[in-house]
Amino acid sequence: MERSEIRTRIEKVVSQVLKVTPKEITPKVNFAFDLGADSMQSIELVAALEEEFSIQMDEVKAREVQTVEAAIDFIDGYVN
Amino acid sequence: MSQMFQVTPKHLDSIFYPQSVAIVGTNRVVGSVPHDIFFNILKSNFQGMVFPVSPKERSVAGVRAYKYILDIPDPIDLAVLVFPSTVCHLALEQCGQKGVKSAIIISAGFREIGEAGVKREEEIKQIAQRYNIPFIGPNCLGVINTDPQSRLNASFARKMPAEGNIAFLSQSGALCTAVLDYAQAKHIGFSKFVSFGNKADISEIDLMRYLKDDPKTKVILLYLEEITDGKALMEMAREIIRDARKPVLVLKSGRTREGAAAAASHTGSLAGSDEVTDAALRQAGIIRCSTIEEMFNCAIALAYQPVPRGDRVAIITNAGGPGVLTTDAAVAEKLHLSKFSDKTIETFRKALPATANIKNPVDVIGDARADRYRVAIGSALQDENVDGVFVILTPQSMTDIENIAREVCDVVGNQEKPAYASFMGEMDVAVGINVLQQRSIPHYILPESMCRAYAQALFFKKHAERGEEEVESFADVRRAEAGLVLANALAAGRTYLPEQESMSILGAYGLPLLPRGLVTTREEAAIVAERIGFPVVMKVESDDIIHKFDIKGVILDIRTTRQAMEAFDAIVNNVSRAVPQACIKGIIVEQMVTGGEEVILGIKRDAAFGPVLMFGLGGLFVEIFKDVSFRIAPLGRRTAGEMVKEIKAYGMLAGARGRPPRDIPAVEDALMRLSTLALDFPTIMELDVNPLIVRNEGQGCFVADARIMLRSQGDVLQPH
Repeated sequence: MERSEIRTRIEKVVSQVLKVTPKEITPKVNFAFDLGADSMQSIELVAALEEEFSIQMDEVKAREVQTVEAAIDFIDGYVN
Repeated sequence: MSQMFQVTPKHLDSIFYPQSVAIVGTNRVVGSVPHDIFFNILKSNFQGMVFPVSPKERSVAGVRAYKYILDIPDPIDLAVLVFPSTVCHLALEQCGQKGVKSAIIISAGFREIGEAGVKREEEIKQIAQRYNIPFIGPNCLGVINTDPQSRLNASFARKMPAEGNIAFLSQSGALCTAVLDYAQAKHIGFSKFVSFGNKADISEIDLMRYLKDDPKTKVILLYLEEITDGKALMEMAREIIRDARKPVLVLKSGRTREGAAAAASHTGSLAGSDEVTDAALRQAGIIRCSTIEEMFNCAIALAYQPVPRGDRVAIITNAGGPGVLTTDAAVAEKLHLSKFSDKTIETFRKALPATANIKNPVDVIGDARADRYRVAIGSALQDENVDGVFVILTPQSMTDIENIAREVCDVVGNQEKPAYASFMGEMDVAVGINVLQQRSIPHYILPESMCRAYAQALFFKKHAERGEEEVESFADVRRAEAGLVLANALAAGRTYLPEQESMSILGAYGLPLLPRGLVTTREEAAIVAERIGFPVVMKVESDDIIHKFDIKGVILDIRTTRQAMEAFDAIVNNVSRAVPQACIKGIIVEQMVTGGEEVILGIKRDAAFGPVLMFGLGGLFVEIFKDVSFRIAPLGRRTAGEMVKEIKAYGMLAGARGRPPRDIPAVEDALMRLSTLALDFPTIMELDVNPLIVRNEGQGCFVADARIMLRSQGDVLQPH
């Protein structure tokens, strides 16, 4: 899967779960600090990304991912 | 203390009296910490400006929110960080760029969770240091200031406490909420209320320093789970107690025997960490409390009433039994019942019924109403022989509880002498207790608690009036000589110094030794024994043996040269059988002193408080009798004298059953010299002088045995 596709799909999920507009989602934004993700939403985000990409992530490591860019790298490791 | 830079009152003013506060990371989720802290500030009628900073929300609780603190147009004095710990560093970085003066980091997930959290905590410390931002926390409940000039509740406690003059500093956030609830039920108010969490930067010492000069604070309470810098705590407390005349009360949890388990010496074994903490806090004049209830019982006495000038109390009661109970409790706390003046007795005789008891305790009888209490309390307070008054009430059918409570409050008023009350019971007396609490008369459910609080107030008074103690320095001390012995031992990889080496160090520090010699043959033993003069003692000298008596390595009362040779053979055989691997350096032959008292002196180095001195009844069974006292070095003569007087066996030293007094000044001297030795050489971890034989007054004392344990990790000896 191309990185651009991974990015687009991640942005879609983040937008839905955190209820933010796509234009607010840039590679370096921090889910908690810039987009206001609280602990419940962090869990929801992991679950939604797993469903989107049909993968089972290491939840502990997944919760350490803090930015969109890091999420792209993390999921890239699963899908490719 | 703040580990980064000296935190000044001005820094803490921006925490307690900020003109503007930003809650960084807040949200709209009611019941969440980020939301509730912001809401608490709003509803407590904060007198400054408050700015919510929320990544998502445009407003919180109707107040315009900013996405980043950098977006706020106004300067910010205080930032309260409520973001998850994983992003606190980002928030603090922006706070630094904004020029925030101080911070409170509420977020958990730092040092307390382990390695990952330790790294996060280091990171925020570095950012704070770079931008010069002193901070409280992380992992804390927050800060409350009830001063009407501020009215700041930057915490997630359920409610704002009433204004008062008691400050509470706590290492546990959860305990804070329980304390607030408890205090509210008892109408106890606070001046400042701080949960300082992990104290990664601002510590209890910094806060104590601030409260020392805080005009709104009269009494300082601390709840501590660990004491990291015991010396600083003691010094700060002394300053507060002596200079500011404010009492300091500590509730320290974790009363365990840790620290004593692995000790090799008697001192090390007896000086458990809680015994040392207890002694250190008392030495500094800190009132150590065992429970929250005891802490507040004492606090209200000190906060609401004058400090008693003496220990003579008058008990006013409407029932004989409680009067006796109170008397027992007072005596148990070493208080005395006042002997009333003739004038007072005459007043009682005229004003009270014939059946009333007009001696102390004064029983105004079960049908007493407010008027009898008024006369009794008023006269007692006026009596020159009375330093404080205890008022007891039991609810009889005719007892006008509420009126009596009001009368007590009116009579006590602004007197110079303290009065405490105990309305015994729960339901019927509640209305009276309410009146007393609202008008700042300390109330106690039990007379025992009342007497204890009074005794603690007296303890504070004694320490507040205690002048600085001069610590003597000894011109005859040979530091270099002692340092060489220690250095040689460490260079040889040894951390245990047996008797000969220990004695040479003690001798260099001026402790009196007995004539002695180290011999390696039975013939030599006879010659040395004869030279010293009989009787003598002979003991094995070995790096591998600490407790010589246990393995029959000591023989006493040797009176002839033949006995000396036989003793030599016996000791060598006993040791070889008991500890075959022990390397015997020789046998010590030492003059035997008779007719003295055996005491033990010791040193143990405590991680929090530094060198601890021990004194007590000595000999083989010291760990069974445990009749010892502890103080933290340095010792002056006054403190050394108090150590000696504190043990139960002091009477034996002072002279008892026709025996003359022993040379106590010589013992004090020895303690002070040991104190100097302990401070000069941080490498000494434990030291026993056991026994020190104390002869009659004027005849001195002698070290009869000693051993020293050193720190093993290659410390450079640093004598002055």
